Amino acid sequence: MIREAEAKEYAKDLEVLLAETDEILANTEQNLVLLEKAPSDSALLQELFRAMHTLKGGAATLGLEEAVSVCHGMETVLDEVRTGQRSVTSEMMNGLFKVLDWLKDWRNAIGEGAEGPPASGILPVVEALQICPSPSEGPQSNVPLKWPETCEKLPAKGAAGALTASLEALVSQGNPVYVLTVRFRTDAPLLSVRCFQVLTLVEEVAEVAGSSPSLEDIENDKASDALTLYVVGEKESEQAQRIAATVQDVVEVSMRRYTVNTTIAGASSPDKKPEIRVEKTALGKTVRVDVALLDSLMNMVGELVIDRTRLSQIAARLMSNSETAAVGSEISSLASHLQRTSSELQDGLMRARLLPLKSIVGKFPRMVRDLSRRCGKETVFSMTGESTEMDRTVLEAIDDPLIHLLRNAVDHGIEMPDERERLGKPKAGNIRLSAWYEDNQILVRVEDDGAGMDPERIRRTAVKKGLITEEASRKLSEQEICELVFLPGLSTASETTEVSGRGVGMDVARQNLERVNGRIELWTRPGEGTQVTLRLPLTLSIMRALLVKCADEVYAIPTSSVEEIFSLKDQSIGSVRGKQAMKVRDRIVPLVSLKGVLSDSPWQRDGSRYALLTRTQAQPVALGVEELLGEEEIVVKELRGLLSRVRGVAGATILAEGDPAVILDINRIL
Amino acid sequence: MATQLSGPPVQISAERQIVAFSLGSELYGVDISKVREIIPSQKIVRVPRAPEFVEGIINLRGRVIPVLDLRKHFGLPRSQSAEDQRIILVEDEYDSIGVVVDAVSSVMQIPVDSIEPPAQVIVGPDVEYIEGIAKVDDDLIVLVDLTKIISDAEKRTLKEAKNP
Repeated sequence: MIREAEAKEYAKDLEVLLAETDEILANTEQNLVLLEKAPSDSALLQELFRAMHTLKGGAATLGLEEAVSVCHGMETVLDEVRTGQRSVTSEMMNGLFKVLDWLKDWRNAIGEGAEGPPASGILPVVEALQICPSPSEGPQSNVPLKWPETCEKLPAKGAAGALTASLEALVSQGNPVYVLTVRFRTDAPLLSVRCFQVLTLVEEVAEVAGSSPSLEDIENDKASDALTLYVVGEKESEQAQRIAATVQDVVEVSMRRYTVNTTIAGASSPDKKPEIRVEKTALGKTVRVDVALLDSLMNMVGELVIDRTRLSQIAARLMSNSETAAVGSEISSLASHLQRTSSELQDGLMRARLLPLKSIVGKFPRMVRDLSRRCGKETVFSMTGESTEMDRTVLEAIDDPLIHLLRNAVDHGIEMPDERERLGKPKAGNIRLSAWYEDNQILVRVEDDGAGMDPERIRRTAVKKGLITEEASRKLSEQEICELVFLPGLSTASETTEVSGRGVGMDVARQNLERVNGRIELWTRPGEGTQVTLRLPLTLSIMRALLVKCADEVYAIPTSSVEEIFSLKDQSIGSVRGKQAMKVRDRIVPLVSLKGVLSDSPWQRDGSRYALLTRTQAQPVALGVEELLGEEEIVVKELRGLLSRVRGVAGATILAEGDPAVILDINRIL
Repeated sequence: MATQLSGPPVQISAERQIVAFSLGSELYGVDISKVREIIPSQKIVRVPRAPEFVEGIINLRGRVIPVLDLRKHFGLPRSQSAEDQRIILVEDEYDSIGVVVDAVSSVMQIPVDSIEPPAQVIVGPDVEYIEGIAKVDDDLIVLVDLTKIISDAEKRTLKEAKNP
């Protein structure tokens, strides 16, 4: 039984360690890329050092010795740089990246419950990085966590008597000593790591005269949910208090002055009312929620929205009768209150689903760096708007397309350095990823100042591949030709290189975006560069849609795919080569009826009274519908199983009357 | 099952509980354990370009659920009267799936020994969905495995979607 409980405990700790490791590795990767550009940035080095230190501590508590020795090696290298014993070289950077990759592999292996890769594979690299290789620490040696030098004056063994004596000595010398009591969440896992983190952080801003539990106890995993620190200096202690509060799982940090007759913690109770309290704010006050739960909550809000609409309809009916008007207006005001509450609920839930772009772009700087090196190109990669938040489904959908776009930018966009110089451009090409909100959309743009696309080459390829006839291709504008890259099958063999030949193509990128109601736009000019913009919806589960009637059924068409609505008059309809078309201002657009499209029969004048000018990728189309019922906010219900892959059906919704209606995906139904 | 039962033999599960329904003039039965709910017929909205045997979707307490037409599956003519029409809800991998039937006659106990395996002669390609044929009084009830029909239909649509 004990074993089982232990195993459970271990699994829980491992999960925490994995989550933390992900964060640490992602940050480290970014910081390494930054370090390459600013090799003497001491804050950066400090952060890298601390990250390795924390990771080592975490791995040590779970007895993952291989990673401990690798982290330890990294730490030593970083320490040598930090203390100015040597400077960063490009050779060293490559080594550090290699070690980072090993750590990533290790993390993936233990995440899958497998043995991590043997450290022997990477330790030679680590050792080669160090000036004076540290004696490698065998797996059996119960690796002690290494402390920065300042720690060494901590009283050994945590003997309370010795500590009291040294504190009294400090006080008698006129040094104010403060007692910082750090309380952790009682159920927090990896307490010793947390204690360790607090200690290391506080060490950086203040002199720590002692602690309880002592450093040794913490190292031996004897930590509890309270940590007492004896810190010298008032200002330093205040700073320490603030810093300690930033550590994960810290609930409270209290501070009081140490007086000579204060007994040392262990005996002293941390429950004593502290003089100063720092309540922890937003930091760490987050919970993990299963997306399925959010989805089901969202569905329930959807129900609420439907009920509210129904209530308003009932109210309207009652109000139209003078006898029931009073009740009706009461219900109506109730309905509008319900509307406010439910839309706030909806907003809240929507926000709960949002994640910042940051959560997927962390890997990009490294990726661009590696790709540029492989292609022999020089690039400067910058990102703005990483904090732009979007629905997690949207984030998932744009991850691969962004990778593809960045690869394209490096591989096809940016020219070789000497070529750029010859053209009078800066030697290093600029690649920029930016994100921002515009109207009720999120825009994510990848741009480069490279060679741009060559429309003539694209045109020839498209003709050669039979995607378009020579004749038709001659009629397209340059912009239209460039948009041919979104057609499946355009990416040519001669274009496919090791770099951009992998992964998704532009056509898949476009499909990914359409799935989440997004669009992709392309701007390019030979010699000036390329700009690809992703237009994404702010939220997903609820959308605005036009309700239209066709053959007695109601369909919902996302408003985002409709550009304009026209009332159909005979004179505006003509025919071009036997096909219906209509004139929209000075453009001729093909006209099809929704009824015809849905029954796959050709257009007849079947009572369509309105035309929706669609916003499709390739060419706008006027879609004839019999009746417009209005624009509404609809709740999108996913269709699963049998109906999940019906072309042109994006899902379903439930109308105010309670009937279901199909949501049409205009881009795929035409 | 090593335990030896002493005394007179006890009849255990010698009966099957089925929900009997009609499609046109034929009687069918489905094991009650597979039925989640039986609901009165309601508005079924057609889904354009859906597989042929999908009648449409319904709103079941806020959930959108596909509904199948078994008559199309079994090649039976469509019935005109919608009066007694019911929708039998069956669990599938994802959620529930509805099956439209002309009428649900009753829940019956059928002695296992009155169920005969499907005769190879009378059944065609749908033989794998037929568990057996029960004789109750003068009626023949075809016992069908609705879950299998549905899961096969799903597999088929997935395959079609993959290789259009």
